[in-house]
Amino acid sequence: MSILANKDTYVVIQGGVAGVNAARRMAEFCYLIKRSLNVLAFVYPPDAGKSNEIPYGSGLVAVPVYKTIAEATKNHPQINTSLVYIGADRAMKGGMEALDDSHIKVVSMITEGVPEKDAKILGAHARKLGKVFNGPSSIGIVSAGSCRLGVIGGAFDNLVLSKLYREGSFGVITKSGGLSNEIIWICSQFADGITTAIGIGGDAYPGTDYVSYLEMFENDPQTKAVVIVGEMGGDLEERAAEWYGAKKRRIKLMAVVSGFCQESLPKGMKFGHAGAKEGMKGEGSARSKSDALKKAGAIVPATFGALGPAIKETYQELLKSGQVKEPVEPASLPKLPKSIEAAMKADEVMVTPLIRTTISDDRGEEPCYDGYPASELINKGYEIPHVVGLLWDKRLISKQDAEIVKRIMMLSADHGPCVSGAYATILAACAGIGLSQSVAAGMIMIGPRFGGAVTDAGRFFKYAVDNKMSVDEFLTYMKKNHGPVPGIGHRVKSLRNPDKRVKELVGYVKSLNIKTPCLDFALAVEQVTAAKKDNLILNVDGTMAAVLVDIGFPVDSLNGFFILSRTIGLIGHWVDQKRQDGRLIRLFDYLVNYAAPKRREVPPLK
Amino acid sequence: MAKVLEGPGMGLMKKWGINVPNYVVVTSVDELTKLGQANEWLKKSKLVAKAHEALGSRFKLGLVKVDLDFKAAEAATKEMIGRQVGSITVTQVIVSEMIPHKEEYYCAVKSTREGSEILVANCGGIEVESNWERVKRLELAIGQAPSADALEKLSKEAGFTGPLIKKMAEFAGKMFACFDSEDAQYLEVNPVVTRASDGELVALDAVTLLDGDAKFRHPDWNFAFAAEFGRAYSKDETEVMSVDSKIKGSVKFIEIPGGDTAMLPAGGGASVYYSDAVVARGGKLANYAEYSGDPPDWAVEVLTEKICSLPGIKNIIVGGAIANFTDVVKTFGGIINGFRKAKSEGKLKGVKIWVRRGGPREKEGLDAMRALKDEGFDITVFDRHTPLTDIVDMALQAK
Repeated sequence: MSILANKDTYVVIQGGVAGVNAARRMAEFCYLIKRSLNVLAFVYPPDAGKSNEIPYGSGLVAVPVYKTIAEATKNHPQINTSLVYIGADRAMKGGMEALDDSHIKVVSMITEGVPEKDAKILGAHARKLGKVFNGPSSIGIVSAGSCRLGVIGGAFDNLVLSKLYREGSFGVITKSGGLSNEIIWICSQFADGITTAIGIGGDAYPGTDYVSYLEMFENDPQTKAVVIVGEMGGDLEERAAEWYGAKKRRIKLMAVVSGFCQESLPKGMKFGHAGAKEGMKGEGSARSKSDALKKAGAIVPATFGALGPAIKETYQELLKSGQVKEPVEPASLPKLPKSIEAAMKADEVMVTPLIRTTISDDRGEEPCYDGYPASELINKGYEIPHVVGLLWDKRLISKQDAEIVKRIMMLSADHGPCVSGAYATILAACAGIGLSQSVAAGMIMIGPRFGGAVTDAGRFFKYAVDNKMSVDEFLTYMKKNHGPVPGIGHRVKSLRNPDKRVKELVGYVKSLNIKTPCLDFALAVEQVTAAKKDNLILNVDGTMAAVLVDIGFPVDSLNGFFILSRTIGLIGHWVDQKRQDGRLIRLFDYLVNYAAPKRREVPPLK
Repeated sequence: MAKVLEGPGMGLMKKWGINVPNYVVVTSVDELTKLGQANEWLKKSKLVAKAHEALGSRFKLGLVKVDLDFKAAEAATKEMIGRQVGSITVTQVIVSEMIPHKEEYYCAVKSTREGSEILVANCGGIEVESNWERVKRLELAIGQAPSADALEKLSKEAGFTGPLIKKMAEFAGKMFACFDSEDAQYLEVNPVVTRASDGELVALDAVTLLDGDAKFRHPDWNFAFAAEFGRAYSKDETEVMSVDSKIKGSVKFIEIPGGDTAMLPAGGGASVYYSDAVVARGGKLANYAEYSGDPPDWAVEVLTEKICSLPGIKNIIVGGAIANFTDVVKTFGGIINGFRKAKSEGKLKGVKIWVRRGGPREKEGLDAMRALKDEGFDITVFDRHTPLTDIVDMALQAK
């Protein structure tokens, strides 16, 4: 048997993320003891109507979330216990709601930093109703082999190591969460393990104290001895001693108390839990507690380290007197399915990756571009064009090349509101569409007739240069196989009215005294085409393409330079419209040539 | 438990209808001089000036001056501001009206497990402390307010007679109202005096301990809580406190000058057992520390750096029980970073590090600690199979 929590315990958890984490731990325990998940519901108003997916073995259990305790217990009448994970400022309200529900008999509060007054009100209310209020600041309650409430017991491995899958003979009551696990472990190593372990919380006035739980353990025939871990401050340990000494008890009481260091510390210094700081006028020292417990007949080892051997001795006596038998260990225990990550680390599985990347990795402290940490690039003076070089072509480009890229981007960042991309973005912005969709509308325009000729221009110029074609051979080849030369021709600009951007870019690149075979070829092509027709000039797409190929960028990346630069302009147009609250745009009729048939009668449907 | 200085403490009492002397809290003489122009009582009454700091034995230190006129109060203020007592610098002085009186009484409200307790005595000052049996008590369950009858009965029991019965009962009733409404854990007025001018009871001194956890529902608590240890917090302590206030989980750090065993244990429960073990072995604690509730690694790193900077340490005890949900790899990661940083700064020379821990991902975490040996750290690492505080025994024997 056990106390407080057993095979018939069914739980509602009040709270959000922390509660869900606890449910996962509880599911691990249920899986270990081959019991279905004992968490039947959550109460968390922000998520009411949804459900939390709790891993159980290799599957998932959907646990519904309700707005109120009443809804939860109405739908799951088996619920008899609530775990409270609500923030300190709302914990009392939540605790009261649970206590006042007739289905719920035990409320354990995990929340820390609950005002003392609230904790007292909850404790008193529970006593009035004949229910148990445990906590606040409780790590939880665990009954070996039957029920876990909260994260007490720790990770799955520890549950197994501490033999929590089957019952022992020792009860445990602690204030400290970490020490509860330690004592459970000690009981499993030096004796046959525990029946129930309870974390009562480290606050000054726990809702239920040692005495009430000792009384319950006294009435649980399976529990033969109880270990309490005390702390200086307050009088809970003295009360436990008083209870133990009052009459002959069936259970053996074992105790350790902390706080002896207090005697040799500077006056006024008090450490540990809030409860340890309580106690005016000298009462509640570790020594007085330890003396009171000894006097009442409890076994009080001198140090924490001596507790294990003392437990062992008690266990041996229990064995000898026939009160307990050596436990039978189960032949096998369920193993918690490993996560893929853990199994891979242990070289137990091989997973074929879904995607492969060669450019960036953000699994460390910061993103690395082609292996270079972003912050280091910044601190060493690299700029946006270098990041472009790393992510698009996996190389650190030179300062000079970066300057060319920067100029290309500056020259093509925008081209006024009338071009297809900007116009589409403005149209969308004025229809009230959001930034990313409006910019996407502009992006969609980038193609063979607008901005999207850079890649093709680069590809063909490069083809010609690589194959040492003459301009004539090239033009013949293009005419025969592809049509007009991408990068040549402009809607409005011509030889007499040249594109300033092209002039600027060509002038700069030429001034650098670098080899520019593609650009030279493109300019030679322009000489021929423009002589045929005035507007068949090398346009900005073609110029960019030739220059970028000349500084080593791969052909497939070339359109990217236009897309990237023009995004700056598209975002600008969207913000501009937003700022002035641009009106919805509708075309005027006079801007449309209505060439559709005149109105006519619809024939009957056949 | 959060201690509140006299000024804000009296402010809270005044809010609940308790008579307190007129008072001002100033940070300079100029401030007092200005207030003197606006507050007539400062010029008319005899005054008391006290250093407004969390200091014991202020009288002995000359930080309480009585029976002053305004000029003398200005002089006393000038003298006190900036005075250094141990680690505390006096930055505030409270100047209050002196209340001529004959009799002194005592009244307090304290928190108990069941609710609270009202304490009343018809003597006050030092007299009550040496005649504690004269203090009479009224126990109250949580949620229960004292009736007028019960208070008068208490007053009578304490030996009050005539009109004072009712006056003291009313005073205690207001003390309770203040205690209950302000989420106090302890309120003490010693002495309560009868003001000669109008015969009303006045609180001359206030000890106020509030429940810091209840701050969220008291927007008018605009005062700072006083240092708990009767000394100012050090720079490193303050830094750890500021980290603590920003994180999930917690990190705590208190320096104990003169010690040589540094503590870096996990959990509020185990940390005290570790401290006990050091003292039991005859060691000298250099600090108290704890990290708990799965704090982020950077917070544990800050804590570790502070601990490594403690002067004169010979051992560092990185102890801990078997954690429930504190991730051992992550928190040890913070400790390891802190150790590496300290070492690169030339600290930790000749310092032995002792580790014992269990909990989620314990093996990985302990392995990482063990690996520090290869980096030249003098570190010994144990797992759950070594009892909790055995590392302290080993550390202190290894001298």
